[in-house]
Formats: sequence, structure tokens, C-alpha cells
Amino acid sequence: MNNIGKLFSKVKDLIYTKFGPNPAKMLIVTGVLGWALSSAAQVVAIVVNDKIPKEQKMFLIPQEILDGAINVASFFLVTTTLKNFASKLVSSGKIANTKIRNFLNKQNLIDANGQKLIVGKNLNIEKLPNFSEIADDYKEFKVGTDVIGMTIGSILSCNIITPVLRNKLAAKRQNQYLAQTRKTDLTTLPRVSMDAYRNISAAKFGSLKV
Amino acid sequence: MSNINCINFNNFSRYKEKATQFALGLIGTKKNPNITIKSDKANRTISWIGKNLSSAENRLILGATALMTQPFIDASNKDVDKETRKISICRTVAKIIAGTVTGYTIRKLCIKSIDAFTKLPGEIKPDMKFKKLRTLLTPNNGKCLANELAQYKNALGTIMALVVMMFTNFLIDAPLTKYLTNLFAKRGGVNNEQHR
Repeated sequence: MNNIGKLFSKVKDLIYTKFGPNPAKMLIVTGVLGWALSSAAQVVAIVVNDKIPKEQKMFLIPQEILDGAINVASFFLVTTTLKNFASKLVSSGKIANTKIRNFLNKQNLIDANGQKLIVGKNLNIEKLPNFSEIADDYKEFKVGTDVIGMTIGSILSCNIITPVLRNKLAAKRQNQYLAQTRKTDLTTLPRVSMDAYRNISAAKFGSLKV
Repeated sequence: MSNINCINFNNFSRYKEKATQFALGLIGTKKNPNITIKSDKANRTISWIGKNLSSAENRLILGATALMTQPFIDASNKDVDKETRKISICRTVAKIIAGTVTGYTIRKLCIKSIDAFTKLPGEIKPDMKFKKLRTLLTPNNGKCLANELAQYKNALGTIMALVVMMFTNFLIDAPLTKYLTNLFAKRGGVNNEQHR
């Protein structure tokens, strides 16, 4: 019982230390979890649905898993890339607010090896010797920029890239499925009409996003 | 083998760095290569977004922008016939509305309920009920920074919402989507009988 209590505290502390200072990271992780869970729910829905014949299930389940993998991968890659790019914009000083810019203008931008640091290229504000002077303003600005980057990434991924990919895949599968059913001896199988297929695909390829 | 992996990884890092530098170069103009946000309002907005944009607001933004893009993506999908295209637009709009309304509401409610049990010791008032449970989910033995604690509540609330939505997906979203699809199809004069 004591161990469960300790584990519970550890989990709480872990969520606090990982996500507390980094809300953009939290949005990405929970977004990925959301896509993964919604895909898992879709698979379960197909598995427990008695109205879908076994032969169709054998086709639909792997495709649903693939669909889920595409959703998760697209969301993760696009949001992470844009979030990291937003971070880089701020840490390199390419984008700054007035306080950060004034701070940068006062600095002697040379690293420990005597190499010149260029704003928007090889500069990392967080590594400057008197970074603590601007730390609070910088953190507030960076957290906001990260969240904006992540939000733009999720819009691109969920509302443009994934629907386009999904439509392409759905059309390809429709053709594959029709070709497959034509090859099979239809007298031994329950007939799958085009309407029934559309019904299933409409329910499936919509990918309910939680 | 390890050498090959190492080389590939180094190459990947180099390409990533080059791509980042290229993208950074696209920001700004020749005259003003670096951007300074001088407006107080803009700076306050950026700061507000960092502090207050939880997964619920993110879901709302996604829903609103989805309405602006996804129906048009479906409308331009030439891989399916005209009738399927029409019904898929109705279904997409219905799904966005149903998913956004339930997604936003459940996330907000879960974050609020997590907040009720993530109080700092100083926040517990004498007239509060279930005083012992109020700190049940408080992390770090109550030694927390306000902003970071708010993000922690958002994270925990979102995780709870995801579990809840595993069920509401079927109990609310799916029937609501079906109802709205039929409604839009009827209003738009689409023959939806064969898709029911």
C-alpha cells in the first residue's frame, strides 16, 4: 500500500517536472495520446461490432491500425518540428520582445572560444553568461512562442496533412477491397454491397478525434 | 553496422541543422533580419497564450480551423464519386462540430475537477468540504510555482479527459455525428438513404 502511495507521488512529481515548465510539450504528448487512444477505440469498435462480417474485420483491423499510425506519426512529426523551430527562433534571438532585444544589444556576443555569436544563427541566449538578468521575461516569451508553434503544427497536421492523406488512402483501399471481393468466391461469403462498404468506410475513415 | 548508424545519424543531424538554418533565414527581411515584437498588446497576448492555452482551448482552435479546411479538402477529393463526396462533406462538418463540442466540454470539466483536488495547503478554506482530499493530486509536497502548477493541472485534466473520451466517443460523439450528418444531408438535399 505504501509502495502504491510512493508510486502515485512519483507519477505526480514526474508530470509536474516534465510538463509544468513546458506546456507545449504537454500539448504534444497529450495530443499523441489522444490520437493513439482514438485509434485504439476505433479498432475495438470494429472488433466488437457483430454487424461487420469476419472477413471484413480481417481487412479493416490492420488498416485501422495503419490509419492510427499515420495519424500519430503525422501529428508528432509536424507539431514537434514546428515547436522546435519556434524554440529556435527565440533562443537564437531571431524573434524577441523589446526587453530581450535590449538585453542582446548590450551583450558582447562572443563565446568561450572567442568565436563571434550571430543573432539568428549560432546564438543561444540561454547560454549567455548573464542570462539570469532576463531569464523570467525570456521564459515567459519562449513558453508562449512554443505553444503558438505547437498550435500551428497541430492545425497543419490535423486539418490539412492528415485529411488529405486519409482521403487518398481511403480511395486506394476502396479499390483494393473491391478487387479483393471480386477475386473471392462470393457464394461462400456474405455479400458486401458498395453501400455497406461506404457505410463502414464513412464510420472508419472519419477517424473520431478525441 | 554501428558505424553506419552513426554516420546516418550524423548526416541526419547535419541536414536537420541545415534545414533549420535555411528556415531561420526565411524569417525577416534584408533590412531587418531579426524581428522585435514591440507592441505591448502582442507581448501580453504571447504571454497569455503560454500561461492559459490548455488542451481544451487547443481543441477549440483545431475545431474552428477544421471547419475552414476539411470540408474543402473533401469537396476537392476527386477519387470518389460526387454523391460520396457530398455526404462525406456533411459527415466531416457533423464530426467536427460533435467532436469539438464534446472534446472542449469534457476537457474543461476534467481540468476543473482536477483543480478541485490539487490545492496548495494555503488555499484550503475552513468552509471547504473534503479538506483531506483537496491536496490528493498536489505534486512536489505542495512546493510548487503557480504557473507550473496550472500547467500540471491542465496535463492531468487532459489525461483524465482522454480516458473519459474513450467512452463518450461512442456514447455521445458517434450518435451526435450521425444525427447532425442526417440533418445536414436533409437540408442540403443530399440523398442519404443509402448511407444510413
